[in-house]
Amino acid sequence: MQGIGVGRAQSRVQWVVIALLAPCLLAYLVLFVIPQVRLLGGSLIVDGSPGLAHYQRMTEDGYYAFLMGRTLLAGLGVTLITLLFGVPLAYWLARMQSRWAGFLVMVTTFPLLISAVVRSFGWMVLFFRNGPVSQLLMAVGLVDGPTQLMYTLLGVTIALAQVLLPLMVLTLYGVFRSIDPGLESAAMTLGARPTATFFLVTLPLARAGIVAGSLLVFALTISAFATPSLVGGARANMMATAIYETALELLDWPFASALATVLLCAVLAVSAAYAVLVDRGRHDRPTAS
Amino acid sequence: MNSLRTPFGATIALLSVTALLYLIIPIAVVLIAPLGETGYLSFPPKGLTLKWYQAALADSRYVDSFLNSLWIAGWVTVIATLTGVPAAYALSRHAFPGARALEALFLSPLILPTLVLALGLALWFNRMGFVAGTPRLIAAHLVLCVPYVIRVCLPVFRRFDRSLEEAAANLGARPLHAFVLVMLPVVRPGIAAAATMAFITSFDELVLALFLADPARPTLPVTIYSAVQLGFEPTVAAVSGLLVLLGTALLLILQWLNRNASQ
Repeated sequence: MQGIGVGRAQSRVQWVVIALLAPCLLAYLVLFVIPQVRLLGGSLIVDGSPGLAHYQRMTEDGYYAFLMGRTLLAGLGVTLITLLFGVPLAYWLARMQSRWAGFLVMVTTFPLLISAVVRSFGWMVLFFRNGPVSQLLMAVGLVDGPTQLMYTLLGVTIALAQVLLPLMVLTLYGVFRSIDPGLESAAMTLGARPTATFFLVTLPLARAGIVAGSLLVFALTISAFATPSLVGGARANMMATAIYETALELLDWPFASALATVLLCAVLAVSAAYAVLVDRGRHDRPTAS
Repeated sequence: MNSLRTPFGATIALLSVTALLYLIIPIAVVLIAPLGETGYLSFPPKGLTLKWYQAALADSRYVDSFLNSLWIAGWVTVIATLTGVPAAYALSRHAFPGARALEALFLSPLILPTLVLALGLALWFNRMGFVAGTPRLIAAHLVLCVPYVIRVCLPVFRRFDRSLEEAAANLGARPLHAFVLVMLPVVRPGIAAAATMAFITSFDELVLALFLADPARPTLPVTIYSAVQLGFEPTVAAVSGLLVLLGTALLLILQWLNRNASQ
């Protein structure tokens, strides 16, 4: 009797789980899985029959290799800038004793609530010819005449790093908070200088988080559209802006699909590395602490 | 170790303050630049006037697309919460085969380029003859917002002490009653945070809207994006400045929700 009751209860639980998941599964199937599979499929069809012509065109025309290279370069640049500022800021916030700490964490996350369009616009005002950045560079003597960071890859990199910096800081903040400050005190009691302690004790313990944050920022940079489009324009094209133009301005949807597939594969490769690292970090934690 | 007296502490503090300025300055620029009196945008602004802010509030292009964005984000928030919360609950309460793979599937739109999602959806919707601008944009935004709801809710639900629910069940409460009466009051701030995230994501979203919005009824990010490309008129800066103020208000709401959640 009892066995039957348990069996019935279990099958009811199964139905409840299915009912709870069903709307979500249906939405993902119709709005995510089918469109994306069709997008990949569409990139492999040339004039109605299967073929690789779109991908061949991409390898034959050197412009697309250049485009991919430039996108990866921006990814690298943005990752390095967010590390340069993100590591100290996250560490500073994580170890801060003052009652301002909460407020400063809030200030750091604040830009995430502002649309990337608006933040890019701020950079456009700063970067424009004879704008504040140009005048500042002239005043400190770095450049001779008015400079223009608009429509350059450097400008896009600086602006995108600002857009993505909060995500790097939030990732690293959690990591630094989880590192016992006692380990740092121990190293310094044993005679290590603060700098040595930071580089030999703190950073190695934060390694997995630093790599995870870097991969996250890298993946988001090579996918970004709003900032490259507004700050870079057509003269500093990246993958995402090129896909947009190919689809909506040249109306070459199959070729746009092929370009999108390449970008998708690049992002998936980065996030696979991310997933492996996060997973390993999860298993490592009990031994590390 | 963080003492400003050591060279190390001073370096860390200096880089951190630079980082904070780097984060805040472009946003402050958007807020301050439209205060100038000139008909073109300059920074620092010349003169001091609120006329561009007034012009922005009176410009029907911006007001209409703002209301349209609110309408879309409102629907997206309701549907994404109603879809995502049950799924997150099922994933947090029941270990079943494939649960981890399902969780990965549910979160995966967050890491994919929005542009790729937009391209796939535009092709698929056109193929299906689904051309109505606003409903299909709402549908498309669900792909970004449901994952956020699940990601915010999952850890909150997992942290919830399961024995409380079991106690309610032992006392005779049916599962739905146990959820509504015992769990919901505890996890409500988490669900509110998830809904806020969904709202912000939809409200600020540009790429899906560029591909899928009704051209006659653009969302606010699309209107700003188009206006900024045409030139630097102070009105669009004022609209952006108003969005910064709105973001500040949302930040305060989120802070308040957080404080309630931690109590």
